[in-house]
Amino acid sequence: MVPGTTTFLFTLLSLLPFHVPSFGSIAPSFALMAVFHWTVYRPDLLPLGVVFFAGLLLDLLNGTPYVGLSALALLLVRTGVLSQRRVFSHRPFSVLWLGFFGAAAGAFALEWVFVSLMQVQLMVPRPFVFQTLVTAACFPIGSYILALAHRAMPALST
Amino acid sequence: MRVSAPVRATVQRLTLPFLIFISALLAVLGKADVLLFDRVRVVLADAFAPVLQIAGEPIASVSKAVGAIEDAVTVYRQNQELKLENQRLLQWQQVARRLESENEELRDLVKFAPQGAVSSVAAQVIADSGGAFLRNVLVNVGEREGVARGQPALTGDGLVGRVIELGDRTARILLLTDINSHIPVVVEGTHERAMLSGDNSDQPRLVYVQPKTPVKPGDRIVTSGSGGIFPPDLPVGVVASVNGIIRIEPYADLARLEMVRIVNYGLDGVLPDSAIPAPQSTRGARARAAETR
Repeated sequence: MVPGTTTFLFTLLSLLPFHVPSFGSIAPSFALMAVFHWTVYRPDLLPLGVVFFAGLLLDLLNGTPYVGLSALALLLVRTGVLSQRRVFSHRPFSVLWLGFFGAAAGAFALEWVFVSLMQVQLMVPRPFVFQTLVTAACFPIGSYILALAHRAMPALST
Repeated sequence: MRVSAPVRATVQRLTLPFLIFISALLAVLGKADVLLFDRVRVVLADAFAPVLQIAGEPIASVSKAVGAIEDAVTVYRQNQELKLENQRLLQWQQVARRLESENEELRDLVKFAPQGAVSSVAAQVIADSGGAFLRNVLVNVGEREGVARGQPALTGDGLVGRVIELGDRTARILLLTDINSHIPVVVEGTHERAMLSGDNSDQPRLVYVQPKTPVKPGDRIVTSGSGGIFPPDLPVGVVASVNGIIRIEPYADLARLEMVRIVNYGLDGVLPDSAIPAPQSTRGARARAAETR
């Protein structure tokens, strides 16, 4: 319950307008953090369907012409992280952070390539790079909130 | 249940490839079948609007606090700048008053009929696209408030974009920086028409400019009114750079949109929804078309 709920809440969080100076319209992808966190710690509690529908919801609410792209990115991140899960277990946070940075870079690179192909022109890469950096920079905050929810989980499920 | 175990295992093994395939397929086909997604999207946006609005409140207050701190830090410099600007504006006010009276006289002279009634509705931004390849915002007014597709959205500074999607109580505004935004504009003072074309960067490009047009940084760009979607002379932005690609800095601060005004100029350049046949009513439309024939 908790992984699914937090993933959906984080997906909605990705959509809120943050009016931070010079932050522009580049919002950190909180959905990615939730999927990453739960895949590392409790992949058994985050079914594929939830990841898929979270991505779909994100696409439908943010008005992209490519509904399904975020779902695809999140599913691939989940698959990739799941195969490398051992690397992250019982390691310091910095390793986790680095792993997340890699996952975010991969996800945004995929979006960049896809949108460039569909628009038949190279997209300006700067926003994608920015979004990767901003998302990675916000990871400790998202990770902290998710860890709190994670710790509260046994209490909630009983 | 010995039979179901292998079946379940197979289903589990196939879920991931299946979902990946479905999302990739949707993403590729999405553009082809926009109508279906449009309906779903509008319904979802309407449903989530209250949630997004409430969830956005704390963020709005935090950003206001950040803004207040920023202002406090720069208050002295701002004051100096404002004093200078005030002086300049007072001069402009004189000019404007003189032009206004002159304008009135001239209008009297040529019996000029002013443009149709204008009504506007204020809208709060409740969601940002948040993506690196999208420049749109969701606002909390819709059909209920009399908003229609194609209507321009403005801030006090200038044009923001136009309504592309309409729900009952939400509307999506395509910002003029989006890669799918193309707005007919004119370089003020030259009467040279051009197109303002977004590329998802902060500064949209000016394209289809006549080669001989003298465009220089600082020139004002306003809507031309071609196409009948935007009225003429809405302030859009100012030429920022001209080396090879002409880039425009929009007047409106698109990175920090909180409130916009959606204005009804009584223009109908956008095809109404009814002009696009819905998938299930194509036969009906065809029959009607046959009748009229």
